[in-house]
Amino acid sequence: MKRSGPLFTLLAGLLVALFMLSLNATTGEKTAASAVKESPSTKASPSPAPTKATPSPSPTPSRTPVSEGVYTGRTDDDSSAVAITVRDDKAIAYVCDGHNVEAWLKGDVKADGSLRLTGKGGAGLEGTVKGTRQISGKANVGSGSYAFTIDKAKKPSGLYRANSSVAGAKIEGGWIVLPDGLQVGILRRDGKPSPAPEINPETGAVTVDGDKLTARPVTP
Amino acid sequence: MTVDPNAATQGFPSPEPPRPRPHPARYLIPALVAAAVAVALGAYGKVHDPAGTAFNLAGFSSTGAVKSWLATVAFLFALVQLVSALMVYGKLPGPRWSSTLHRWSGRVAFLVAVPVAVHCLYALGFQSYESRVLWHSLLGCFFFGVFSAKMLLLRSERLPGWLLPIVGGLVFSALTIIWLTSALWFFRTFGVTT
Repeated sequence: MKRSGPLFTLLAGLLVALFMLSLNATTGEKTAASAVKESPSTKASPSPAPTKATPSPSPTPSRTPVSEGVYTGRTDDDSSAVAITVRDDKAIAYVCDGHNVEAWLKGDVKADGSLRLTGKGGAGLEGTVKGTRQISGKANVGSGSYAFTIDKAKKPSGLYRANSSVAGAKIEGGWIVLPDGLQVGILRRDGKPSPAPEINPETGAVTVDGDKLTARPVTP
Repeated sequence: MTVDPNAATQGFPSPEPPRPRPHPARYLIPALVAAAVAVALGAYGKVHDPAGTAFNLAGFSSTGAVKSWLATVAFLFALVQLVSALMVYGKLPGPRWSSTLHRWSGRVAFLVAVPVAVHCLYALGFQSYESRVLWHSLLGCFFFGVFSAKMLLLRSERLPGWLLPIVGGLVFSALTIIWLTSALWFFRTFGVTT
């Protein structure tokens, strides 16, 4: 008599795998799980920028406690780099390990100096301003959770991005140029990630597969 | 007239037909299925663009934490597998239900490992940029292949006595190294955190 248990075990495993894949495929940018820690609607901006809605004699936008500009640095575990660029009350962040883990996140900077940014694939970043020249927080990207404390950066340290097409392949690159000159970046060719070639931070010039592209500083 | 004792005569029971040699298919099919599973997983991991998606569960700080704890649960059941296997083969004293324990702890370990592997393949892909991830990727594919082989071999009877323990041992060893190159690395890098 042939035992049927082992085949059922394999079949059960296959069914669980297909179920998990269907969760992944139908989920898109939201997180997939039975019990989600944060509410899935964190991406939606809860309120419009304060001064634009209320009548006010002065035309200047509301002052945010975090000074505008770019903040760059490495994560506490030294595996990756984080850059956050702030303008008005909007922020864009980029977390990158220089191999295959990266995420672009965006969101608002609140009046109390806190940031809650989100990105594709459930990526999230929470941070708070420390003083006027530092942001400290935690980013969740891919499988990892990265704590960081990063400082206001001076040119040429900053956050750069390039989108183009080279030899028929879609090219997307993100670079963080750190204060010590080290660059951490990922280049995707048709979605496939690899460590990015170095850019000239003064001009943004970078050569990808023989073609000259220009990486531009990122602002919200 | 000499009597031929082997001549078939009415009423005389005919000699038993020789036992059929084990058909090679009982080894080939599990081996081929195992290879197909392992190669298919590796190919998917290489060809599919890693999606970097998160997998959040209440109470856990990140996807890596969820997977590391699930993988650790699977590994703990794998240890139960090792001990219960020794009991089944009489190398350790054990209860009558050792084989039931072995089958069910194995099912639990396997089913717990599947979601972890699905996320790994879908969100991270087959990576080779450093030896830790290369070994993890290779052995991850190998594990599901050799596990399939073990499941299929179990359906055959009259296997050589050493075959199941060897295949079972390979399953256990693969899972151990997979755990070392992922969950242990995670706990050492990010702390033993949920």
